Amino acid sequence: MSGFIPAVIGIPLVLAGLVLFIPSRIGRILTAAGGLASAGCILALVAGAASGSTHLDALSELFLVPVAIVYGTVGLYSTWYVRAESIGADGDERYRREFLALTNAFACAETVVPLLTNMAGLWVTLEVTTILAALLVRLQGTDAALEAAWKYILIASCGLAIGLLGVVVLYAAGASVLGTHYAPEWQSYVRAASKIDADAVRLSFLLALIGFGTKMGLAPMHTWLPDAHGAGPTPTSAMLSGVLLSDALYVIARFASIANAAVGPSMTQHLFFIVGLLSLFVGAFFLLRQSDIKRMLAYSSIEHMGIVACGLAFGARLAVIGALLHVVNHAATKALAFFSAGRLASKFDTREIERIRGGVAVLPVSGTLFALAGFALAGMPPFGPFRSELMILAGGFSTSSWPVAATVLGLLLVAFAGLARWTIGVTAGDLPEGMKRGERDVAAIGSMLLVFGVVLGLGIVVPSHFVALLERAGDIVGGRP
Amino acid sequence: MTHLTVAEAFAGTIAMLLLLVQLSLFRSVVISEFIRVYAIQAWLVGAICLGVGITESAWDLMVLALLTVVFKGMLLPRYMQSLARGISARVELPARINVLLSLLIAGALIGISILTSVQLPLHQGAFLPRADLATALSMVFVGFLVAILRPNALAQVVAFLTLEDGLFFGTVTLAPGLPFVIGILLLIDVLVAVVVFAVLVRALVGSQAAASVAVFEKLKG
Repeated sequence: MSGFIPAVIGIPLVLAGLVLFIPSRIGRILTAAGGLASAGCILALVAGAASGSTHLDALSELFLVPVAIVYGTVGLYSTWYVRAESIGADGDERYRREFLALTNAFACAETVVPLLTNMAGLWVTLEVTTILAALLVRLQGTDAALEAAWKYILIASCGLAIGLLGVVVLYAAGASVLGTHYAPEWQSYVRAASKIDADAVRLSFLLALIGFGTKMGLAPMHTWLPDAHGAGPTPTSAMLSGVLLSDALYVIARFASIANAAVGPSMTQHLFFIVGLLSLFVGAFFLLRQSDIKRMLAYSSIEHMGIVACGLAFGARLAVIGALLHVVNHAATKALAFFSAGRLASKFDTREIERIRGGVAVLPVSGTLFALAGFALAGMPPFGPFRSELMILAGGFSTSSWPVAATVLGLLLVAFAGLARWTIGVTAGDLPEGMKRGERDVAAIGSMLLVFGVVLGLGIVVPSHFVALLERAGDIVGGRP
Repeated sequence: MTHLTVAEAFAGTIAMLLLLVQLSLFRSVVISEFIRVYAIQAWLVGAICLGVGITESAWDLMVLALLTVVFKGMLLPRYMQSLARGISARVELPARINVLLSLLIAGALIGISILTSVQLPLHQGAFLPRADLATALSMVFVGFLVAILRPNALAQVVAFLTLEDGLFFGTVTLAPGLPFVIGILLLIDVLVAVVVFAVLVRALVGSQAAASVAVFEKLKG
């Protein structure tokens, strides 16, 4: 099964170079096929890993799943997107080729992150994703895109600089146990955790949480996120929200695992509580006053990252597993939300929420799926996010931190109000005057239905081997590999 | 009384010079001065890398020192000067607060860095005990501060690059055993970041001559 690893990296990498030199009408088909093939390889890899036939650990396997879901459908969705939304200043064909090339390169970098356990290598790969994402956000050429790209690369790069300092401090601390020259592998640190200086490990985790937390969109380092998600191309927004945030969480989880093994879970839990509650607060209240449909979804991402951080903070096994499941649920639901929001914004030729009315009447499939995605993000049953949020809250209420769990519940209700209000506003109503009803873009609809299947499926049943994977990943985060 | 070795005295001097050079960014008024300051800092970082390489008999660090001086000390500043000429290098850079207040805040940040670092026993494998983490942290914080207080695109790029120099300094002195490839990747990362920044700066110049990022206020809420 390890043979799939070169394929999951190689497919997007080869496509990234190839699509620059071939017509975009072929490039977009290849990207769609590549995305699906890559998703198939990742799922085969994860399924094979359950039988112990790869060297990847459960945390790596789990964080590959969002890549499979989002990249697998982004390619398909992009076949519609590059036809409908090509607005490059230097010509549509050039814009389309660059968009497809950067999308594949971005997917490749996002795939590499969960495959690594080398702490320094993780930093390098995340830095590569920053550069590629900034170029993608800038691609539309508008003033808003330039502003978003500038803020993104500056804030994310500075954040990652702090993250690297965390890697360096950990390396220096590990030198007293592992020798002055060693590979900074996660496994080495966990094995030597009890002998590494506790204060250095604490500082290292703090720096990592601030640094990589910037990439994860945790408040108060989240300021780049609404701009980049809002101004970037829709498929890029889905990849940023669904995969990049989870990649950053993967790195933080590795650091947390080392810190938990070295100094116990108390310190990481306190810090996760602080950033988690702050993110939930910012996300929930900013959701109430949004005017841009994509920025609304961006604030929802901040809110959901806050939920995940709180789940990890509760420390109860159920809450930690719920938090990890929520990463997958959020990736699928947010991809569906961005895809359908992009379709609505394109049809109404605006991202302003107040000007999008009667979404279901105009686009019966996309409008309906946007409504379902909105309610899923708000935490309504029977969708995946409901299940994982319930697990997090149940875990939280079972611990001594139940007042925090009650606060989380309160903030979730605020977020629910915001999301439900905008979702109903956008999708309900009669067919607006002068607009035609109907949609025929098979690939875009297919991509949304595929990802909706995941959102609904994970709400109804979580396969037993996936539960086992979540449990093993939860043990790793807890410092018990 | 503790006597410093020659290597420790050399490293301490370079660390102090690095910080002083970075602090001079608050006083610089035109972008060409910013770029000159960055070039000087890159030479100093190259010198510390060479010093650690000689002390540890590590050829990879000596090679890294050479690459640092060539790319970050010579080629990159030259490229950035050419980029600045397109924007008008004599345009006075704006500052959000005056120099004295900027230096006071920077001083406070350096104090915090020293207080944080002094607790940690990161001695083994470290070339410059005690002061290395404090210097690296200070350079990162001061780099942040410059980026916040000077709202100009190229000034923010230089601030980011000086911040990266702090990281490079920290990596080389605190963890000289960190694989050579990381040092090279850090160098490549700087080069790629500059290229991406250049793309954005050119786009910004297309819309306004002074490359001020103060216009970036449309995306709010």
